[in-house]
Amino acid sequence: MEKRGNILTGNIIFIILNLIFLTLLIVFIFRQGAGIVTLEQSYAKQISLVVDSAKPGMKITLDMKEAKDEGGEWFKENYPGSVRVDKNIITVKLSEKSSYSYSFFNDVELSVDVYPEGKVFILIKEKNE
Amino acid sequence: MNNRGEDQMIGAYWFVIIFIVAAAVVYMVSVFYGHPYDVRELEASILINNVADCISQKGELNKNLIEEGKFNSEFNTNLLKECNLNFNTEEVWKDTPQYYIVVSFFKGTEITKAVFSLEQGNSNLLSNCEIANEDYQRLAKCVTERFYSTSNNEQYLVEITSIVRKSEKNVK
Repeated sequence: MEKRGNILTGNIIFIILNLIFLTLLIVFIFRQGAGIVTLEQSYAKQISLVVDSAKPGMKITLDMKEAKDEGGEWFKENYPGSVRVDKNIITVKLSEKSSYSYSFFNDVELSVDVYPEGKVFILIKEKNE
Repeated sequence: MNNRGEDQMIGAYWFVIIFIVAAAVVYMVSVFYGHPYDVRELEASILINNVADCISQKGELNKNLIEEGKFNSEFNTNLLKECNLNFNTEEVWKDTPQYYIVVSFFKGTEITKAVFSLEQGNSNLLSNCEIANEDYQRLAKCVTERFYSTSNNEQYLVEITSIVRKSEKNVK
């Protein structure tokens, strides 16, 4: 009777450890795919490509919901500065420690507004010399 | 006693296998997500579209480019301004331009010798186009497009080659 009990406990511990291992592995894979650093790069390049193909007068809306979800508290407090434009360089910053910049070649002026729900509105304007 | 010993051995062996699998998964995921998104080909294609829109509108060559049947060489000097382009890039590349664009015009069916050409950017990048191999991902990306346009009832074949380097931010 005692031996049976030991085998059962051993098996249960074994199964639980396996489940913990698999869960950690799956969480790791998902976190890597939607990590802040990957998102910053992806949004900076997306915005830069969209701006390159845009013409003055266009209004572009980009949904950065994932940035809001991943950025958490930091995004809630700093969302207006999460997408910045300096001359022809787009910088996306979704956390205190990281940011990603990418340049665009279309010589236009941008006006960027980020909203708390993660929406970004970009207005393309003719450059004033 | 023997059975118990065997069970423990199998348990330890199982965890070694699991550890190897975990290490392989972590390595593969890191390799996959560690590579930056390579958008250089897209950038080069968009650059071609922008230059094509500026050189030819509704199938007619830009009036500033060709006047009374003669190509205006000043258009080349002002190409970036005429086409609303800005080749400045991030601080990392401030000394070496990361773009190159060359536009060649061929008259009628004579496609061996260009009658006129425009170029702007870093011409050293042109040599990168000769090597199109998967092993040389760090070289610049080249895209070439051709289209026909007219001016004063003359037909021209326009060939645009656009090159984007920016390797540090697009390839590992």
